[in-house]
Amino acid sequence: MQRKSFVTGLFVILAGLFLTLWSAKPAQAAEKHYTIGTDVTYAPFEFANEKNQYVGIDIDLMNAIAKTEGFTVTIKPVGFNAAVQALEAGQIDGVIAGMSITPERQEKFLMSKPYYNVGVVMAVKQGSKIKSLKQLKGQRVAIKTGTAAANYALSVKDKYGFTTVTFDDSNNMYQDVTTGNSVACFEDSPVMQYAINTGLKLSIVTKPANPTGYGFATNKKNTELMAQFNAGLKKLKANGQYTKILQKYLGTGSKKSQAAANKKTQETDRSFFGLLKANWGTLMGGLQETLLVTVVAIIFATIVGILVGLLGVLPNAFARGISITFIYIFRGLPLLVLALFIYTGVPSLIGAKVPAFLAGIITLTLNEGAYTAAFVKGGIEAVDVGQMEAARSLGLPFGKALRKVILPQGIRIMVPSFINQFIITLKDTSILSIIGILELTQSGKIIIARNMEGFKIWTMVALIYLVIITLLTWLSNWVQKKVQA
Amino acid sequence: MTEENTDRVQMQDVYKDYGTNHVIKDVNLNVKNNEVVVLIGPSGAGKSTVLRMINGLETTTKGHILIDGADISQPHVDINRIREKIGMVFQHFNLFPHMTVLENVILAPVELKKADKATATAEARKFLETVGLTEKADAMPASLSGGQQQRVAIARALAMHPDIMLFDEPTSALDPEMVGDVLQVMRQLAQQGMTMVIVTHEMGFAKEVADRVVFFDGGQILEQGTPTEIFDHPKEERTQSFLNKVLQA
Repeated sequence: MQRKSFVTGLFVILAGLFLTLWSAKPAQAAEKHYTIGTDVTYAPFEFANEKNQYVGIDIDLMNAIAKTEGFTVTIKPVGFNAAVQALEAGQIDGVIAGMSITPERQEKFLMSKPYYNVGVVMAVKQGSKIKSLKQLKGQRVAIKTGTAAANYALSVKDKYGFTTVTFDDSNNMYQDVTTGNSVACFEDSPVMQYAINTGLKLSIVTKPANPTGYGFATNKKNTELMAQFNAGLKKLKANGQYTKILQKYLGTGSKKSQAAANKKTQETDRSFFGLLKANWGTLMGGLQETLLVTVVAIIFATIVGILVGLLGVLPNAFARGISITFIYIFRGLPLLVLALFIYTGVPSLIGAKVPAFLAGIITLTLNEGAYTAAFVKGGIEAVDVGQMEAARSLGLPFGKALRKVILPQGIRIMVPSFINQFIITLKDTSILSIIGILELTQSGKIIIARNMEGFKIWTMVALIYLVIITLLTWLSNWVQKKVQA
Repeated sequence: MTEENTDRVQMQDVYKDYGTNHVIKDVNLNVKNNEVVVLIGPSGAGKSTVLRMINGLETTTKGHILIDGADISQPHVDINRIREKIGMVFQHFNLFPHMTVLENVILAPVELKKADKATATAEARKFLETVGLTEKADAMPASLSGGQQQRVAIARALAMHPDIMLFDEPTSALDPEMVGDVLQVMRQLAQQGMTMVIVTHEMGFAKEVADRVVFFDGGQILEQGTPTEIFDHPKEERTQSFLNKVLQA
């Protein structure tokens, strides 16, 4: 009897926990309010300015149209791929992210009338001998996944005999060219021009090819929002607001005026400490989010891990089966795959949105929880079987024997693993940048997307992680000494 | 009260298999109230398995085991209640290393609400005195010698006021000079009339305290009788050769 109630208790707690996580879904968006996804790194269309507010042609256009047409928007810079997947999954209502209108996309989504026309250009490192597509034979070229420029590159790849390497954001693609790993990259002309004006050491060597228009995308059913966007765009073009927005970011046409327009959005002091000072707020904001995600995830993962680990040592084959399966699946899945699955896969399955923060917490809880369960189980199993036999032979029921005799000894064995797992969890939060959580790594990406100072900013980010992990290690060692004394 | 001649333990046609390995074959063994039964025999003969079956640490494949008439292989029988009446002492003591000696002794009485903490503590000190370890009440098990640990283990089992005590090779893991103290405690218990089942290789001790000696071989009871019958006039050849080997050593 005792044993049964113990098993049942565990199930109830586990089930309750999952229900809490699951039912924490947000209320559906109110009428006339839309969530729009955008890229993090696509200046001048969207980027964070020196005050780390989101600005750019796409952002200003979207806000202006919303105002004209009488709806409100929340714009979420989650990254281009994440935004498109989130739109497919119904997590967001629209995407405005310098998205070229292509037949494939029109198949999947509703796409607006073009609001900006671009062509694809090829850029090489300044001073490079490569000046044309023909010289790319046998060379490696960097592209950004899912973009029209990437499609163009892939379409001419065989003709000119080059290989490609793909990146998730523009800056990483540019860096691959400046470091010489790739000889060239392909990008939409205004974006490439903007980055070069900002100080990127690349040169454009081809004329814009494959002209396409940028369009706003919604899912196929959202004809209302699409109609409003098209109508709003028409009005902005008619009243001159459209031209104003373009000039704000691109200048009046000359390179000089564009450079001047750029400068307004940039830090003035480009030294390490100048950049650190200018971006301190953003980095600390990111750190705060990282710590929040870490702490919440550690709490949930520890609870889930202990419960699942305990299930794994119960004298009940069904309970042990659940534990083994849980550990097998969630320890087996890469964190990145799990995060994308929960954020973009699950919503299309259950037909409801899963906010990024919740998706991130669930991801970490399942993954870190599986690792925790494995060492909790192992820690308990490492306690001499004679201990359980002695406790049971005194008449103690299984649950009491576990709690009073086995766990106190098992926990001492587990403490170093717990500390290790906390540190891993802290580091693993960086992977959640893929689903747009604005944590430390994502904050770094955003800053770099604006100022192209990859080396200095990543150094800052790395140092912040090291400082935090050092503090966490000290704290853990102190706790360890207390527990094992 | 249980009468002198009542069977406290009844093992009826008991079998135990580990896969295709038959470790216990058709064992019938009864233990009467106040009786001291010593199980002897070569290693692997199944003595310890039989002992561990009496308090349900090992399950039976076939047959019945009755403790004071209750069949412990039946699902409705609360094995925890039965174990409260059966104390067990292990070869490797199995003291709880994270608790003091005193905490080891009072854990079960307090947890199972047999006594409040103050009463249990007072009683525990009495049992520690019985085993001659009053001054070690606040020591951690790791700081004790093997013999001392085993005596604490006996006090821990006694704290539940058991009707039956099981000893599974209680002196096998001890240094020779520690054996005497432990046997002395067991001798006292036997003299006080405790019902005991003991697995041991201490033949001199068996001869001295046993009411009955049971010789096991190959998972079966080969013969049993009074110490004189078994040690001085063994009927079976296997018993003779076993005794020759151990007594020469």
